[in-house]
Amino acid sequence: MTNAITAELNHKKTARGAPNNSRSNGNVHSPEVDFELEPRLVRLKNAMRDGFYREFRRTEQIDVLNECDRENLSWPRRAARLTRRMCEAQLPIIVPDERIVFTRTTTAIPPIYSPSQWQTVTQGRTLHECGVISNICANWEMLLSQGLLGRRKVALATRERLKRNAEAVEFLDCAIETIDTVLDLARRYAAEASRRSRRGLVEVLEHVPALPARSFQEALQAIRLCHSVLWLGGHYHCGLGRFDQYMWPYLEADLACGRLDINGAEQLLAEFFLSLNKDSDLYPGIQQGDNGQSLMLGGVKRNGTDAVNPLTCMVLRVARGVGMIDPKINLRVTKDTPLELLTVAAKLTEIGLGFPQYSNDDVVIPGLVAHGYDLEDARDYSVAACWEFIVPGSAMEVVNVGAVSMPAAVDQAIRAGLPAGDSFENILNRVGGNLQLQVEKLAERSVRLLLPPAPYHSVLMGGCLERGSDISNGLKYNNFGIHGACSSNAADALAAVKSFVFDEQSVSPGCLLDALNTNFDQDEALHRRLVDEAPKVGNNDPRADTMLVKLFELFADACESVPDNGRGGIFRPGSGSAMYYVWLARGHEGMMEPTVGATADGRKQGDLFSSSLAPSPGVRVRGPLSILKSYAKIDYRRICNGGPLTLELSDTVFRNSEAIRQVALLVRLFAAVGCQQLQINTLNVETLKDAKAHPERHRNLVVRVWGWSGYFCELDENFQDQIISRHVHGK
Amino acid sequence: MLKGVVFHIKEFAVHDGPGIRMTIFMKGCPLHCAWCHNPEGMSPQPQVIRGAGGERTAGHFVTSAELASRINDLADLLRLGEGGVTFSGGEPLAQADFVAEVVDQLDPLHILLDTSGFAPERVFQTVASRSHLIFFDLKLIDSRAHANYTGVGNEIILRNLKTLTRMAVPYVIRVPLIPGVTDTQENLSGIARHVAGMRGLERVDLLPYNKAAGAKYAACGMNYSPQFDENAPVHVDTACFESAGIEARIL
Repeated sequence: MTNAITAELNHKKTARGAPNNSRSNGNVHSPEVDFELEPRLVRLKNAMRDGFYREFRRTEQIDVLNECDRENLSWPRRAARLTRRMCEAQLPIIVPDERIVFTRTTTAIPPIYSPSQWQTVTQGRTLHECGVISNICANWEMLLSQGLLGRRKVALATRERLKRNAEAVEFLDCAIETIDTVLDLARRYAAEASRRSRRGLVEVLEHVPALPARSFQEALQAIRLCHSVLWLGGHYHCGLGRFDQYMWPYLEADLACGRLDINGAEQLLAEFFLSLNKDSDLYPGIQQGDNGQSLMLGGVKRNGTDAVNPLTCMVLRVARGVGMIDPKINLRVTKDTPLELLTVAAKLTEIGLGFPQYSNDDVVIPGLVAHGYDLEDARDYSVAACWEFIVPGSAMEVVNVGAVSMPAAVDQAIRAGLPAGDSFENILNRVGGNLQLQVEKLAERSVRLLLPPAPYHSVLMGGCLERGSDISNGLKYNNFGIHGACSSNAADALAAVKSFVFDEQSVSPGCLLDALNTNFDQDEALHRRLVDEAPKVGNNDPRADTMLVKLFELFADACESVPDNGRGGIFRPGSGSAMYYVWLARGHEGMMEPTVGATADGRKQGDLFSSSLAPSPGVRVRGPLSILKSYAKIDYRRICNGGPLTLELSDTVFRNSEAIRQVALLVRLFAAVGCQQLQINTLNVETLKDAKAHPERHRNLVVRVWGWSGYFCELDENFQDQIISRHVHGK
Repeated sequence: MLKGVVFHIKEFAVHDGPGIRMTIFMKGCPLHCAWCHNPEGMSPQPQVIRGAGGERTAGHFVTSAELASRINDLADLLRLGEGGVTFSGGEPLAQADFVAEVVDQLDPLHILLDTSGFAPERVFQTVASRSHLIFFDLKLIDSRAHANYTGVGNEIILRNLKTLTRMAVPYVIRVPLIPGVTDTQENLSGIARHVAGMRGLERVDLLPYNKAAGAKYAACGMNYSPQFDENAPVHVDTACFESAGIEARIL
């Protein structure tokens, strides 16, 4: 109790911080001054790492199914009931050091149908991943400006208007049920805050999320609670959208009236970021951290004017100071983005979390427009969980219905075309045909896609309550996305065949086919030639890059040939791979995409493919500038689903401020050459260890030591160990 | 058309000058510094490097047109990245005519010469006059010590440095700090006294020794056996430069 009061007093002291405090001159701190967590937040972060919050979790299963069956509830009502029971099951947790609250106290999401019922209701339909709606982004701006009571009023008005439409009435009743249950949860938190004499917190929780937020703290609290409830209802990969856009008005007002100073605002923001890491081990995903808590910064406003504001920079600084994997930060840039902003972003890259991820407005926006998005909406884009471009609040898109295996399309064409005596042109035609078949197969499955009702998610989307229609019935944009996976290996394979079999005629078709069929076991010489001497994507070498461009053209042709995805949308081709760089090489349970054995780029059976856009693993490439040039050749107007070019830099690159500026300049070049999306990984110790154990996979890995750099795999073992230990100690 | 031997081209060299740079490592060096960290740069001939990841040849003959074209392919990016090209090595002046021929075929770009300064004066001027910035190594001010640790005395180097002060090309003096060899107070003060007030001097960069210098020798089939104590702490002193009015940076 004492602690709580102290924390509150400290808060007041900070909040009253004089505007002429030297730390709050101007709107943001100078980028040279690093943000640091205040002691209170250091304690919170340590508690989080120690799993302190897990102690509040109750493990007993909540039963929703029984009552749903007893009352013979419809699917929408079951979904609403799940949200309600999950909210009711939450114990209000307020830790003394916290000012932004909500901690999940239940683990599993209970079923609303038994397995056999589930079978019946989904009969003949396809389900996406876990089945529930996921991987889209709510309209958080709307939530903050209307409050849940505002949304409730909209629902009631529509209900009155559509009272003779039973389906609409049921949906709206469900939506209202979920709104009421969230408001009840907020009330219980307010009561707990009151019991703990946390008066400031009581004031916040009695106001939001019911009413429009009045301050930065209220806005953060409203998002924290309403975002968490999405997960409680079984939704996952719930994005945070254009955070600096919808949050800045609240912060700006607080700064203007002196309610907050810059440091106070940054500490609040840091606490919000920390809170996103509290329950995330409970969130479904491929691996820890794959939870889609992504947010977008910068770019342009819907009217096309510059959207960068002081919060843009603040988020980058604070995320660096927080140093945790959530939220994942994205930054929209153009070739004209000021270097100062890129430098702050590069400092976040430096700490090795793999973000910010950059997207290039000059390329993304025209690509979305070319795929039927209104210009204003296209300007408003954010990312779904990983990288897929999506319009917050108005897109019910399934951005990852599957992948085309570019290596399989190429491999099948080579294995069929060479024995048939095909010209190279004919082999390319076969590739096109194979991609077409793969897309058609995905389309056939996807048109049967079933999206379950999601009343609470609908509350947070634009237009659902207004039209009296659940989000699962569709929104303004209803497109599906397909990954164009492992393109570099596929392009390299085509380039090798073109160069060696057709142009030089230095390798006979039979020889190559034999080698592929025997996984190169009998022909190491050919294997080495294919790996070391064939043209490779990433070297700005037209012989390979032409193939890359062609593959994406053929892929786009195939997607464009399917007029409708069954929901009035299209198929958007992308360049990401997600886990397919593993699955397409080694297979994966339930996967319909084809796998391949050894491939003509010299890759052996089972070896992994390139992830998203990156040179094939293990090939030696000229460097980042040539990589940018290679991947800039893709026509991204036709490839608009997203998928980052991935550059890997050693963290020793970031040794001084000049080098950080150079990384910022590299991002500028990425935008200037016309690439679409960029992820910069800072090399970490795991990679180095793997490189030591498996040098063949990391022949391209450069480390810099002192005034020089070298290929890591050529260094003496002792020095490799030294570098590894340096990286260990550096963290 | 001249051919040259290049042992590496680095596209995103962050410590070889301002902005985003491409660094061309020219093979072959007339010096044999006891602390050399680029053993594959010593011999002027291509050679096989055997690492755990397999074999490769370090050093390839290229024509000046081929190299210029490779650089020009990226010239737009190098300019946009506020950088340019750095010629390093090895010793780029050992292939000065080739380097000059390459530079003459380049699109407008910022050229940086990273040199030991050891070359006949005419040769030095050939490349220096084509450069916009020079990283000029000055390792030991005492010529006998210089000869002992690098295989050559420093008279030619100091003469070229003097020549440089008469050219309108800015330069940075670079001093590797080798424990007990170049990092002594005597040597650093001597260098500071020597370069103080020199026209065109931008600053002095101090590069503290790192024990990983020997990491590449085995792959080159060479032994690394420095005649100094690698484990001794490096003495870093910027004061003697600063008191002489010279900016000094530690890299």
